[in-house]
This record gives sequence, C-alpha cells and structure tokens, in this order.
Amino acid sequence: MADIVRKKVSPAVAPTVRERLQAMDDSAVVTAFLGGEERAFSELVTRYQTRLLNFVYRTIGDREKAEDLVQEVFIRVYRHLHRFDRSKKFSTWVYTIASNLAKNELRNRSRNPLVLFQTVQKNFQDEDRPLQFEDTTSRPDDMYRKRHLREIVEESVAKLPEHHRHVFVLRELEGKSYEEIAEITECNLGTVKSRLNRARNSFAEIIAPYVD
Amino acid sequence: MDCREFSEKHLAFVDDTLAGIELVRMQRHMVECDSCARQDAKVRRALLLFRNLPAIELSAGFSDRLEARLHEAQDNDILLATTRRNLTRGAALATIASVAMLAYIGSTLYQADVTRDLVMPPVVATATEPELNPIATSTPAIVASAPAGLSIWPVALFAEEAPVRFAESRFELANRSR
Repeated sequence: MADIVRKKVSPAVAPTVRERLQAMDDSAVVTAFLGGEERAFSELVTRYQTRLLNFVYRTIGDREKAEDLVQEVFIRVYRHLHRFDRSKKFSTWVYTIASNLAKNELRNRSRNPLVLFQTVQKNFQDEDRPLQFEDTTSRPDDMYRKRHLREIVEESVAKLPEHHRHVFVLRELEGKSYEEIAEITECNLGTVKSRLNRARNSFAEIIAPYVD
Repeated sequence: MDCREFSEKHLAFVDDTLAGIELVRMQRHMVECDSCARQDAKVRRALLLFRNLPAIELSAGFSDRLEARLHEAQDNDILLATTRRNLTRGAALATIASVAMLAYIGSTLYQADVTRDLVMPPVVATATEPELNPIATSTPAIVASAPAGLSIWPVALFAEEAPVRFAESRFELANRSR
C-alpha cells in the first residue's frame, strides 16, 4: 500500500493506470496485481469495500466489528491472492472469505455472552449511530418514520437464524445466484433454496406486524 | 395447483425464474386462493423493504486503518519469511552436522570391527618369583620333591621308619611348582 500511495503522487502515470484498471474486469485486475502492479489491489479494495461492509454488517449486526472484518478480508486477499484459482470468480472467493469470517465472529460471540451483551447494547445506542442514511430534505416526522422502519427491518433480519440470514443477505442484498451462494456457504443447491425460502417466509412473518 | 405446490414453487415465482406455463398456473392459483395471495404479498412487501434498506458507508478512517494493517501484515510476512529462512538454514546445518556425526560414528564402528581381526602383539604378564623361605629347623628335615625324582609315599614311609631323633622334625614341603 505504501507503494500505491507513493505511486499515486506521481502525476504523469497514475491517472492512466488507474483508469485502465477501472475499465478491467476483476479477473484482469487480479492478473495485473499478480503481475506486479500494486495499484491493482487498491482497485479491488475500491470495488468491494462497501459491498463487503454491508454484507458483513447485515450478517453480524455490529458496524465497528464489520469494518474490522472487512479489513481482515482484504489482508487475507493480499496475502493469498497468488493461491486464488483464477478459473473461478474473484467475487465468489472474496465473499467466501468474508462469509467465513462473519460465521466465526458469530460463533465466537455465542461462546462469549459478555461480547454478545456488549454488541446488543451498542446496537441499541441509537444516538451514537450516524444519520447519514436519512434523507435530510425530508420533514422531521418522515425522517423519524424512515429511521424507525430501518431499525425494524434490521432487527427483523437479526432475528433470523444465522444460516438463514446468511443466505438471505447474500441473495436479497448482494444479488448472488443460488450457485454462487452454494459455493460461498459450502452448501448444496437444494439446501440454499430451502433456507432461502424459509428465510423469506420467516422474515415476512417477523416484520408483518410492524408494517401492516 | 394446490397450496403446497404453490408454496414449493414460490421461491422461483418471486425470483421470476419459473417457466411460462408454471407462472400462469401460480397466478391462477393466487386468484383462486386468498391465503396464498396474502402470503405472496406479505413476502414481496418484506423483501421490498429489505432490498431498499439504505447501504451503510465506510467510516472516515477506514482506508488509513486498512493501509496501516497492510503495512503491518507486510512487515510480519517479511519477518516470518526471514525466520523461516533462518530456520531452514539452521535445519540444513543441523542435518549436515547430524550426517557428519553419524558418518563419523559409523566409520569408527566399522574400523573397530576391522581391528578385531587384526593380530595384536602378545601381552606378556610378568610376576616376581616368590622368595623361598629356607627351612628353619634345628635339625635338617627330610625334603622330598618331584624334581628330585622321588615320589612322596616312599618318603613318608621312610619318615615313619626314621629314628626318634627325626620325630620332632617337621616335614616341610617346599612348593616349587611356581
């Protein structure tokens, strides 16, 4: 990354390379990085950081921890990219890493009630939350209603069983195909479909009283 | 179509991946069955809410922290690689030393086997010859000895028949075998 920063300040080359990298698909960016182009890693980070943050956050429900885990994902990618099977999709690989880290986090949390309590407590400290998702042009009562609704949706998702939530977020938020979800979660296709169907119905049942 | 079949195919129905004829059958069932129609609406509305959930953004220091962690990881990797290289070298040296030691021990044992068959110079043990005490009697005793060519029993017989003056004389046999 130091190299990336250093190279960023050289005015003649950087914009061209960056633009070229932006135009490439994931596979080509990975190839460029493995070929010694350090700036390609920045491109991968830019492409996936927000998507991964949302995925991990919706899975574990802790924003701060989600950021830590996303960083851990990128460190692993940086270290092990040379081992990545380039015949497969990079996005599937990166989501698999994120998915495994999120699962480990949930497992560790379930073993440590103190951490679980702290997380729940943190999630309920509404005043600490950023208001960046609110539409500031709306009236205050609309803003309140939207914020309340968002909280209800987040809480409803959090009530889903872990393995259902995982599949649900990958499908509904990330738009992954069943096959990709099967690969990421290391389940067979039938299990993915069954879990997704149950997750959808459960989520609808949980949220229905609040929105009817 | 019954409600069970509707429920089984609902996943593909919502994802819009059903074949044309199946799609029509699902839609027809919804017209006929209020319960399934309500369930379908409930699921679609819930999904709409979830899909429209605003995306969260990265915190301001995310990139800096990531960069710092990547630096740290790189340093650790370098340290790890150096340690691994040193360990490899150490292991190689230890292996060479072990092999040399084994070779030395092997050759030593081999040589010991070989020298066992060699003719060594004879070991000569020497001992001082014991001094013979002279017969200290007032009268001379009869002394018989093998080198003299006399057997013992005639000497004993002779001693029995000896005159009285020999009675107190002790019969001492000097062992000259050694």
